[in-house]
Amino acid sequence: MLEANYTLENVKHVVLYEVAKRAFEGRMEEIEATLPYEMAPGPKANFRCCVYKEREILKERIRLAQGKDPAPYRPRPGIVQILRAACEGCPITRFSVTDNCQRCMSKKCQQACRFGAISMQRERAYIDADKCKECGRCAEACPYHAIADLMRPCKRSCPVDAISTGEDGIVNIDYEKCIQCGNCIKNCPFGAISEKSFMVDVIKLIRAGIPVHAMVAPAVEGQFGKEITMGSLADACKELGFASMIEVALGGDMVADSEAKEWAEAYEKGEKKTTSCCPAFVNMIHKHFPELIGNISTTVSPMQAVSRLLKQQDPAAVTVFVGPCVAKKNEVLFSHSIEGGNADYALTFDELQAMFEAKGVVLKAKANDFQQGSVYGKRFGNAGGVTKAVLRAFEEQGVKADVTVKGCNGALECKNALLLMKLGKLPADFIEGMVCVGGCVNGPGSVKWEAEAKRDRDTLIGGADSRGIQENIAEQEADRVPMHR
Amino acid sequence: MVVSICIGSSCHLKGSREVVREMSALVKEKQVEQEVELIGSFCNGQCLGDVCVTIDGEIFSLKPEDTKEFFEKEIMGRIRG
Repeated sequence: MLEANYTLENVKHVVLYEVAKRAFEGRMEEIEATLPYEMAPGPKANFRCCVYKEREILKERIRLAQGKDPAPYRPRPGIVQILRAACEGCPITRFSVTDNCQRCMSKKCQQACRFGAISMQRERAYIDADKCKECGRCAEACPYHAIADLMRPCKRSCPVDAISTGEDGIVNIDYEKCIQCGNCIKNCPFGAISEKSFMVDVIKLIRAGIPVHAMVAPAVEGQFGKEITMGSLADACKELGFASMIEVALGGDMVADSEAKEWAEAYEKGEKKTTSCCPAFVNMIHKHFPELIGNISTTVSPMQAVSRLLKQQDPAAVTVFVGPCVAKKNEVLFSHSIEGGNADYALTFDELQAMFEAKGVVLKAKANDFQQGSVYGKRFGNAGGVTKAVLRAFEEQGVKADVTVKGCNGALECKNALLLMKLGKLPADFIEGMVCVGGCVNGPGSVKWEAEAKRDRDTLIGGADSRGIQENIAEQEADRVPMHR
Repeated sequence: MVVSICIGSSCHLKGSREVVREMSALVKEKQVEQEVELIGSFCNGQCLGDVCVTIDGEIFSLKPEDTKEFFEKEIMGRIRG
């Protein structure tokens, strides 16, 4: 049952938990009809205006948690989906004049406005919302910074301008532009944007006795506190029913080794390349800079590298990535990725935690000695981490190339660097693209944000041994995996 | 054309992976990579039939062993016009 003091995170998580619980118990019939009533019995509403709206929102979330469209009558492509029932339609006009307005004599705002939207009232300037075209010239012109730019949080968060508002005020996503990064999911204060989940599919396959393997992203260390080591997670994943757990940091090592070879070759030829491990970054190139598709490294992502390794060992294996990423869910459906030993499903840390709770699996402290990735692979989830790993791989391979890399921390830096590359004006030889600011450690599917998890993460990774990239790949018998698309 | 193959758990158990494997091989064999985009999809709610495949949104139900025949008829048929 939902409680009055619940935040959005609680509501989102409790829905995943309840759905996971029923999926493990095999009680999925009528779930959309019954669960909203169990969770919000009424008559009093807890977090929205009335219990009927709450139940509708819960129903949409329950559908998403099963991988369905939130509303059956409005199917939309994409992982990122709008919960129309939850959208507040934020009735804010983008630019409004604040108390800082001195009603000055220069009237710079009025002069800057090309649409005659600004008039001087008794106390301060006034913007006529019907005439305002939201160009922002008035806000720039005001000497007192008295005009506030109150863009809707969803729209502001979108790095590729894929979000618009319909006549009814409800948010709309243009899937031709959307790169599935999940930034809007993280930023809507009403939780009106969320994502489809493979969680129920994974639970059903585990229950069917299929060998399902968990491949846990390098960003995981620190997500569950400093006591929870990779060994703790491996035990918990097995208790949950996974056949095994493998560190995707190993895939990071494999990718660094392969990309180093690729970059060295490109450097010789004077070609520029970008990384390929961030799926939202790859989507950004495909949708917004298609002329640069040929510049994307053909090395697969660490997720795919590890999946290929597992399927080499057991062709019947079903592989499930678990990470902080929304766009990874899109990567598993993507045209280049659906065969050839690549990952079958992708989950978020939040979904994995809901599964642990639903099955009553408790994460237990364990010695920090389970290690399948080098420290370089483990840092793939931090902005700048891929570059460091590739440079280390250069060293190990004895490559002497004085390369320069433009590390792009966040979507805006990615966009700017790609624009320069497109114009042939990028000074650096390579681009490392991470659409989430800070890297995967701030992904929308995290349990804790980077700032909260950093200390524990540093402690855990600090406890890892200093094995090299090639040494680790050889030790894990991962040197015969085809590493290209 | 966009051909999507459901990879949900129900279709997985009915052999969607086999369909994916065979279809990608056929796309290469017939050299129609430019015409056909193969993608995976979430459950379409057609779990009572066989593996759910859609061609530009039109829903079909397919047994893995019929993939070749289906590809010839529905996909190559559409390409040839």
